[in-house]
Amino acid sequence: MTVTTRALSGALAAVVGADRIHEDEAGLATAAIDGVTPRWLAAPATPEQVAQLLALAHEERLAVVPRGSGTALEQGGPPRRLDLVLDLRRLQAVVEHNPDDLTISVQAGMTAGTLAARLAPHRQTLPLDPPGWSTRTLGGIAATQASGPLRMRYGTMRDLLLGVRFVQADGVLTWGGARVVKSVTGYDVPKLMVGALGTLGVLVELTLRLHPVADVESSSLVMFRSAAAAQEMVALLLDSAVQPSRLEILNDRTLTACGLPVAAAALAVSIATVEPAVRAQEAALTTLVARVGGRLEPLGGSFWHLYDRTLAAAGGVTLRIGTVPSRLAVTLAETRNAFGDAAVSGCAGLGALRARVDASDATALAGGIERLRGVVADGDGGVVIERGPRALRTAIDPWGPVPAPALTVMRAIKHAFDPTGVLNPGRFVDGL
Amino acid sequence: MTADRVDALDAPATLTAIRSCVHCGICLPQCPTYRVLGEEMDSPRGRVYLMRAVAEQRLDVTDGFRRHLDLCLGCRACETACPAGVPFGALLETSRAEIERRGRPVRERLLAALIYAVFPHPRRLRALLGAARVYRGSGLSALVRRTGLLRPFSRLAAMEQLLPELPADIALPELVPARGRSRGRVALLTGCVQRYVYPDVNRDTARLLALAGWEVVVPRDQGCCGALELHGGRLDALRRRARALGSVLPADVDWVVTNAAGCGSAMREYGHWTSDDGATRVASRTRDVSELLADSELPLEPLPLTVTYHDPCHLAHGQKVRAAPRALLAKIPGLTVVPLADSELCCGSAGVYNILEPEMAERLLTQKIDRIVATGARTVVTGNPGCLLHIAGGARRRGLDLEVIHPVTLLARAVRWEAS
Amino acid sequence: MALSGTVLTELARILGADGVFTSREARLTYEADMHTLYKGEPDAVVLPRSTEQVRDVVRLCRRERIPIVPRGSGTGLIGGAMAPRGGVMVSMTRMTEMLEIDLANRSATVQPGVINLWLTDAVRDRGYFFAPDPSSQMVSSIGGNVSTNAGGPHCLKYGITTNHVLGLEFVTGAGDVLRVGGKAADRPGYDLPGAMVGAEGTFGLVTAVTVRLLHLPEAVKTALAAFASVVDASEAVSAIIAAGIVPAALEMLDEAMVGAINAAVGKVYPDGAGAVLLIELDGPRAEVEAQGERIAAICRQRQALFVTVARDELERALLWKGRKEAAGAIGRIASAYLLQDAVVPRSKLPQIMKEMIALGRRYNVVIANVFHAGDGNLHPMICYDDRNADEFARAQEANEALLRACIALGGSVTGEHGVGMDKAKNLPLQYADADLNFMYRLRRVFDPDGLMNPAKLLPSHPACGEGFRPTRPTLPDGAWV
Repeated sequence: MTVTTRALSGALAAVVGADRIHEDEAGLATAAIDGVTPRWLAAPATPEQVAQLLALAHEERLAVVPRGSGTALEQGGPPRRLDLVLDLRRLQAVVEHNPDDLTISVQAGMTAGTLAARLAPHRQTLPLDPPGWSTRTLGGIAATQASGPLRMRYGTMRDLLLGVRFVQADGVLTWGGARVVKSVTGYDVPKLMVGALGTLGVLVELTLRLHPVADVESSSLVMFRSAAAAQEMVALLLDSAVQPSRLEILNDRTLTACGLPVAAAALAVSIATVEPAVRAQEAALTTLVARVGGRLEPLGGSFWHLYDRTLAAAGGVTLRIGTVPSRLAVTLAETRNAFGDAAVSGCAGLGALRARVDASDATALAGGIERLRGVVADGDGGVVIERGPRALRTAIDPWGPVPAPALTVMRAIKHAFDPTGVLNPGRFVDGL
Repeated sequence: MTADRVDALDAPATLTAIRSCVHCGICLPQCPTYRVLGEEMDSPRGRVYLMRAVAEQRLDVTDGFRRHLDLCLGCRACETACPAGVPFGALLETSRAEIERRGRPVRERLLAALIYAVFPHPRRLRALLGAARVYRGSGLSALVRRTGLLRPFSRLAAMEQLLPELPADIALPELVPARGRSRGRVALLTGCVQRYVYPDVNRDTARLLALAGWEVVVPRDQGCCGALELHGGRLDALRRRARALGSVLPADVDWVVTNAAGCGSAMREYGHWTSDDGATRVASRTRDVSELLADSELPLEPLPLTVTYHDPCHLAHGQKVRAAPRALLAKIPGLTVVPLADSELCCGSAGVYNILEPEMAERLLTQKIDRIVATGARTVVTGNPGCLLHIAGGARRRGLDLEVIHPVTLLARAVRWEAS
Repeated sequence: MALSGTVLTELARILGADGVFTSREARLTYEADMHTLYKGEPDAVVLPRSTEQVRDVVRLCRRERIPIVPRGSGTGLIGGAMAPRGGVMVSMTRMTEMLEIDLANRSATVQPGVINLWLTDAVRDRGYFFAPDPSSQMVSSIGGNVSTNAGGPHCLKYGITTNHVLGLEFVTGAGDVLRVGGKAADRPGYDLPGAMVGAEGTFGLVTAVTVRLLHLPEAVKTALAAFASVVDASEAVSAIIAAGIVPAALEMLDEAMVGAINAAVGKVYPDGAGAVLLIELDGPRAEVEAQGERIAAICRQRQALFVTVARDELERALLWKGRKEAAGAIGRIASAYLLQDAVVPRSKLPQIMKEMIALGRRYNVVIANVFHAGDGNLHPMICYDDRNADEFARAQEANEALLRACIALGGSVTGEHGVGMDKAKNLPLQYADADLNFMYRLRRVFDPDGLMNPAKLLPSHPACGEGFRPTRPTLPDGAWV
């Protein structure tokens, strides 16, 4: 049975309350994605409301896009259709927290900063720090598989998400995973939801694994005359018993952006544990630095905030480059060749890099991305546009190639759970 | 008869032992045939499961059952690994007895008959080896090998390949007095193959024991220890040999010493198969020569050599003797011992296995020699004649410069004989 | 269901005559894994050596609608590697090559038949190891570890198998060869490796795994603390966590278990010890030393009867000896027991222990515990005399009640053993219909014809699980619990 737009508005309002539905131009403009304006913007307060909204959307063949803080919307393809944007920021509740368990269950609209504040008195943390993390929602971080320097030690959301409650395309509230740190009961559904951009379900609740805050943290900057020397240092560190919690590589542009002394390349290393072990590992670090011929300087405690702010700063195109530690130098060099001027940084210990390029000519950038993809493909890696203008993301596939058999399976998964294309159509890999 | 109690798979004691297997699989990676073939039926866990099926009448004594058990080396590496203490060796022997009782195809029986007619009978073995000497010397063996005449008869060919250069006989006196103050009296088992193929090992064993302070008795009429018959499931024959040995070896010795791992292993287990006094006495007093020598003072000179040590299955797994031979080697000044990877993994000799199952024996031998070569040592030391023959043969066929010797041979080289 | 001559001929063509077994002996020996009460004979057993052979077998079986049951070393505890509906069992035990070891990028790629410990052995001299260390690691295969998402005593600190899988090569139930994930970071698309690890052979067969290797820690330190009660010990655990220490391993033995060990092995633990904590730290030496001191102090503050810290490798082995003797010790005082693998939130440990004592009384059975106190993974052993049918029935009821109690406290049905045949019927305790339905649909994506490892992991029917009655699993000393 078809319902008129007016009737639909009424139905949506009945779910969340009239004051939580926006149909006015101004309101809708704030919810636009890639210049596409939705017909409605809804701000549900509970998972049940999300479920009801989706059930309605499914019934009426509406296209729905979930959003959190809205700071990571410039990724993927432009929306193929867009009827309803779900603003999930009202889903803020703590569902369950027992500090003894080192787990917490929270609703997906909570920001990582709010969570950090809540955990701080217990000296616990969710060690997940993508650029601008404190204002990003946990659901958004999960849906975009965003990560930061702490992944060196703690992994990403993939490793920290234990259980997830989500709403399927047809509005069914579903649970996957467990509330405890160790569970192999059934399939690992949370893994499927991380980085899925909401295309398999709208995340409403997350059970997360926490870690204790270390006694002492100490950071150093090591500067090198070449990227090759930095790579050598990384190799030595990886082959040692030193356990850094962060191991970031910074090229000259990134150093400048952070207001640090210029060098061809640098490593920012943090070590966090009990004091005697911090001292011992710093000494080990110093010895290794001397072997490679770098220059070491201590970094103050505020460095990582500065770094985060620098990386999160608006403007430009950000690329996620996946490579391996043994190809750091060549990747840095090829990034320069591809774009001339790029600020590169990222987790050197895992080969997870980020390049920031000024947003100029989309076609030229597309060419550069293509070229860089060719280079990192040698190491079996890829380049994804993490943030960029729509023109660029239509000039070139923002995700990069996925081998055909795997893509077939991904399509089949999408088709199994969202055959009518309710959830975020057109934005994910292959336009799924 | 009490003997029947352990000779049948469905005897209560046997069933209990079989059921003590909890199917955990820890034995699998230790089993040489499983390592080569990768399938469950040729693993200890699978073999015990088949034994259980036969005992519980889910399975007949089929060709398949026979085949999978025939492929078993009886190396007992599985016993070493098993956390539940399943006595695999004894179960294997009982199974083989069961198989013998049900009968084998004629062809298999003929070869077995030949082996059992010769190997455990020292005089017949000597005659065969003497004939083999002639065969060698006459150039007939070279002809046979060149023309590949025996190739279709793989098992005969295997036997032929094994024939070593036969040394001259070395007669041992019936009594070798101890040097210096006597610690006690031991009887030396001269073995069957050892006696004729490695008489120098027997001689060195006696000399070294005497040097270490033991009075050594070498009874002239001693027969075979019965190991081959035991591993072949001929349990009544084994019992006869055990009783015979028990009566030939003097009762007043502290230890019965062997230098052949296969013999020592069988002798230590006489008590499982018979309650005869003489036999059980032998069982409780059996020791490997390395155990006695590791525990003694010997005048040794430096021997600057690099060697590696291979654990014979029946010493390491069958008798749980691993430390003593290594301690013995460690005594020799200037000797470098390089550890052998998978040292406890069977070389493929396993009694007469290399005659009965030449393909599997060859595959295991190849692996063993590869590991020996990887150590860089030019000398491999091991305390069992079967292993010595098998590994030496393999090395020779590969054209390798590898010395394959018994620990007592090496030790004898290092002794300052005139000082004693 | 017998296989037709055509199918057998085709299998022999794909694998070679020595790669296919249909003898009675083969079908018997492959009818069960370690959980021998779940028996199901396959119609044929095949042992492939390459991905292409695996792919061709799956395609053939798909065409002929023959069930496929993957198998590794056959050491699972959940009846996962047996063939309840016959079909072709695919044993991966001949695919034992280590294809690549890339220490510079801390990764290795291996075939699924490689035994877990062999990988660590291959890289240990260079200072690396493969972290997932299930107690079966000397025999379980990496393919099996991936299929069940295996844990181990050190997963408290290091995570489970999925946290160490970078990529997979996989033949799906549809007969397609997939290569997903890889060494390089951050791949676009759905996390297929993440979804496939732990699928217990219901999606297809693993034909190669790329894993993460870690650098060996500089130092290891082991401590043992005895307490008057599990409540005291649990409080110590909480205090250790609150002090910001995440040990590499944290095991607890309860009063019944302590008594059994003392009786079986001789006084390993002091009299009056109601619970024993075994704590292991690893990491930079200075960190391990400092945290070791702190842990000893915390235990003493929490009324430990007895705290000892190992000074060398020998003492460390002695401390672990009692823990490793646990299963064997129980085997001496009871002829049989049912083994659980449930998980509760760590903070609920004292509560579940009280519940367990109450259940033991209510059903009149002895329940002894060894568990991973660090992550709340319980291994209760519910003892019974296997000649006493009534006692067995009571043990089963206690087992079910205990499982329900764990789930009610927010736990999970299985922490590390997996679901297999044994726990499929329990999934509805933890998951609603919608959740299970999601999993059924996911399974169909990979296995459209429902041929892959049937009757495993998901309840096949609301009334499933009948027909297989567990009677007596017993575990030897040193077996994994």
